[in-house]
Amino acid sequence: MAVITVPDGHAHDDGPDQLYVETRELRLQGFLLFLVSDVVLFCSFIFAYLYLRNSGQGWPPAGISRLDVAFAAFNSMVLFGSGCTMHYALENWKHNNFNKYVACMVATIILGVTFLGGQGYEYTTLMLKDHVTWSGSGIFGASFFTLTGMHGFHVAVGVIYLSIILLQSIHGTYTKDKYFGLTAGTLYWHFVDVIWVVLFSIFYLI
Amino acid sequence: MENRDPVVHLDRNFWIVTAVFAVLSAISVWYFGTFDFVALLPESAAPAGDIDALTRFLLMSSGPLFVFVIGYLLYFTIAYRVRKSDAPDAIGTQIHDSHSLELWWTVIPTIFVVIMAIFSVKIWYNIEVAQPTGGIAVEAIGHQWFYTFRYPNVHGEIPDAMHLEVGVPVTLHVTSSDVIHSFWIPTMRIKADMVPGLINTLHFTPLNPGTYKIICTEFCGTLHGDMEKQTVVIEDHAHFTAWYNGWVAKTKNASDAIATTSAGAIPLAGGSASAGQALFATKCSACHKIAPFDQKIVGPGLKGLLDDPKHPNLVDGQKATPENVAAIIQHGYKGDMGAMPDMTANGLSDKDIANLVAFLKNQK
Amino acid sequence: MATATVHAGGIADHVHPEPQGFVRKYIFSIDHKIIGIQYLITGFVFLVLAGLLAEVIRVQLMHANGGFVSADTYNEVYSIHGSAMVWLVIIPLATGAFGNFVFPLQIGARDVAFPWLNMVSFWLFPPAGLLLFGSFLLGAPAAGWTEYPPMSLQGAPGTSMWCAAIFLVGVSSTMTGLNFLVTLIKMRAPGMTFTRMPLFCWAQFATAPMSMIATTALAAALAALFMERQFGVPFFDPTKGGSPVLWQHMFWFYSHPAVYIMILPVFGIISEVFPTFARKPNFGYKMIAFSSVSIALLSFMVWAHHMFTSGLAPFLQLPFMILTMLIAIPTGIKIFSWVATLWEGKIHYTTAMLFAIGFIATFTFGGITGVFLSAVPFDLHAHGTYFIVAHLHYVLVGGSLMGLLSGVYYWYPKMTGRLMNDKLGHWTFWLFFIGFNGTFLPMHMLGLLGMPRRVATYDPQFQTWNQIESIFSFVMTFALLLFFANMLWSLRNGKKAGSNPWGARTLEWQLPSPPHYYNFKHIPTVFSTPYDFAEPLPYAGLEEELTDSPGPAPAVAH
Repeated sequence: MAVITVPDGHAHDDGPDQLYVETRELRLQGFLLFLVSDVVLFCSFIFAYLYLRNSGQGWPPAGISRLDVAFAAFNSMVLFGSGCTMHYALENWKHNNFNKYVACMVATIILGVTFLGGQGYEYTTLMLKDHVTWSGSGIFGASFFTLTGMHGFHVAVGVIYLSIILLQSIHGTYTKDKYFGLTAGTLYWHFVDVIWVVLFSIFYLI
Repeated sequence: MENRDPVVHLDRNFWIVTAVFAVLSAISVWYFGTFDFVALLPESAAPAGDIDALTRFLLMSSGPLFVFVIGYLLYFTIAYRVRKSDAPDAIGTQIHDSHSLELWWTVIPTIFVVIMAIFSVKIWYNIEVAQPTGGIAVEAIGHQWFYTFRYPNVHGEIPDAMHLEVGVPVTLHVTSSDVIHSFWIPTMRIKADMVPGLINTLHFTPLNPGTYKIICTEFCGTLHGDMEKQTVVIEDHAHFTAWYNGWVAKTKNASDAIATTSAGAIPLAGGSASAGQALFATKCSACHKIAPFDQKIVGPGLKGLLDDPKHPNLVDGQKATPENVAAIIQHGYKGDMGAMPDMTANGLSDKDIANLVAFLKNQK
Repeated sequence: MATATVHAGGIADHVHPEPQGFVRKYIFSIDHKIIGIQYLITGFVFLVLAGLLAEVIRVQLMHANGGFVSADTYNEVYSIHGSAMVWLVIIPLATGAFGNFVFPLQIGARDVAFPWLNMVSFWLFPPAGLLLFGSFLLGAPAAGWTEYPPMSLQGAPGTSMWCAAIFLVGVSSTMTGLNFLVTLIKMRAPGMTFTRMPLFCWAQFATAPMSMIATTALAAALAALFMERQFGVPFFDPTKGGSPVLWQHMFWFYSHPAVYIMILPVFGIISEVFPTFARKPNFGYKMIAFSSVSIALLSFMVWAHHMFTSGLAPFLQLPFMILTMLIAIPTGIKIFSWVATLWEGKIHYTTAMLFAIGFIATFTFGGITGVFLSAVPFDLHAHGTYFIVAHLHYVLVGGSLMGLLSGVYYWYPKMTGRLMNDKLGHWTFWLFFIGFNGTFLPMHMLGLLGMPRRVATYDPQFQTWNQIESIFSFVMTFALLLFFANMLWSLRNGKKAGSNPWGARTLEWQLPSPPHYYNFKHIPTVFSTPYDFAEPLPYAGLEEELTDSPGPAPAVAH
């Protein structure tokens, strides 16, 4: 080990796998920045929606009944529940409770799929019963389906990602100390939850 | 430790050059201060005078800034060039910063920016916020690739020059029938974009009689470059009144090609609901919502106008049919519910009414 | 002074194995230096293409009722010219080319944080360019690089290709911004605190978050336009309840930071060229660094100054006017600092320095006209006219492009090991400078007198000045051709440069030209900013870099 006097230096950890530690810091920061840019993407469309909604045409627009808040609230609970199970999955992994970890992961994935199913039900109801479509219902259809569709796409990607992580962890890719993929998956899943809080509020509550 | 506020020796040449820049700056201030903008481009209305004054101020302030920055740039580049007699490893004076100098060159530009802001806000207020009372309200509509104008009591759109009276304040509403255009009168130094679905407003008072160009400055398609052939004619009271009355008279006759009003029923065939929706947004939504009847703004909500079991008749007592709806828009309404302007006051043509009715029919 | 142990095993010691074979070395390389050169070459190819389009514009405009091309073709030409120059030339050259090649060396890193992602970023760029220029085949977009709806909703099918192309290159730009930000935060050499970083690195550090955040907002706008065009989803069509002004907000929220993405890295280049060729430190290092960050922040708050005539409520015009005026102050501070850097220097008239000095003059002029435009009443007259065209070319060509050319003359020897021909460089500079000013200076006046922008034909009273502008533009184009010829000729015939032909002090100049694939045999330690020419170089550990000693062994795979 070389010892060099550094005028303002701060001590580095004397850990055994310096490369992993430093690489993980890079990947964590990169992943967080990726989530930041994803937030910007949603914010842009949220801005568009709020701008159009406030452009003086009246809301909801003619001929469109209010959305089914009760159903969406229930579906939201499903998604938030999956956030809890995700949290516990990570905790169980960190505490070496492999079986509980698997259970929590499976629950998260199932709840995620359930949420998507709920969205699918809401979409078909809107499109077939209420005749509200993406392109044929003015700015309401445009903003609702675009934003919730983007979110649903992110949930679907998340479900696939979590499934891959689950398989990898069963396969032994992760160890007690090296499980960045799982950390990233957890962060992503919470991000998807937070986005839904905002979308639910601006479409269903106000 | 580096000296953050070093003593700096400025040599004699520096002061000579600085004096030269001061003189050049003074010349630039004088030049811009006395520059005759109007000789290059006449002023046809207030606020052109205000805007030219602001431009003059900006030029007078920028002149010295540019002289000094470029002046010192050139002088230092030449004065401190490396000479053949210099050692190959010769270096300059290793000065890192000077807190006092940096303070001054932050504070002084900030003060300048503040002055410029105050001046600009004052003129901005006069143009964009302050609204002169009285005067005439005119509408300009952009099309691909020409302008039309609407005047009070003139039916339909005038595709000709825009005539205005000297000294009479104008409230000009602009919009577009298709894509974004812009309405620029260079001699007035102001413009407003003509955005379909929006009404933008310009306030100005014509000052100097003459004929002045109107130019489109927002790309609007193939012949965007051609959209500068129309003019605004500013004329005295007598000439303006003659022109205006001519159009009022011309558009009263049913046989006139441009105007489309008739005393009889408005033909409704071929009305476009989407055009009607755009019209509704610009013309009707100030007073009406597409919402149930009792959701009034000024007038009642118009959702289900033709299909509402609770209101089988319109406000004037007539049965709720498309033809009767068209009649109300055509003639306006005055009664227990309030007052609604007729199609002329609203600046609507027959086609507009047909489109509106088509749109309203869909609002079940 | 604290001591710290610098350990084996960390990223600084993680060396990739040397790439084998032509494809891994030069085509699908993960080496930031190669990627930087790939961006440079590709950016210059698009500069030639977009420049040819510019000359089509200038030939057409030589006659007030010119018939060189049809009006529709003309509209397509300037739309692709602008789009290509912004997204395929200036942004990739400023960030992808110089950012990639230079700053990892300057911070003492072996590469960027995510080299594989870097390679993907680059390889999105040529396909995006092909898509953009390919739009001519289906009918290119014709509503300018800004593509305002409803015009862009009706535009030819190429408009959708435009959406896809810019989206792609935007993804590339976002990934690069993310990559650079993590690299700058996490991978500086020991001892290199932020306040010891070279100013070029500060410039990239301020630009990277803009690339990340603003470009994503553009992606949303493009996606919305694409969805509306292809699937009829109403965002912007007023006949369906949409708003054309919404597009303007979404577009300019990105495009205003974009212009600072195009200039901040160039400010960084000037901050390297000036001290090197004046043989003294940048005047006011801390203020230059701080002003870069404040410009980046403020750039997100001024976008609606492009919309003063669109129908913004007056109470919205006011804050945008004030904030835009404010942004002039950090910019002015930089200009004054650079001029003060020249005072009592020992100035070498290399071509890089000439372009940098010329940059100060033309960028200052462009900045001043920008301040004019920030005043709403002035903008009400000047918006949409040739005054705007003049302003934007003064800051983007007289500013960004001239600064980038300075950077090429400066770093070409580090990239290739050879010097460009300085005599030819001087000719290039003077011809370019004269040609540029002759082309764009008269446009200020023409705009204020009544010549709108984006017109294939115009009022004949402006014809003489347009002809003068076109002739000067040919001079400028000729100068650029000399530049490219110099670049190509010098590859084989340029004087050998050695490691530090300029006597510069930042880390990249303490390495061979070009550097080894692993950059540093030993990651150095840094003790101060590099710009004090009276002091020895503030680094430790560089003794072996220029010797024949072997490089670091590639790390064993984990």
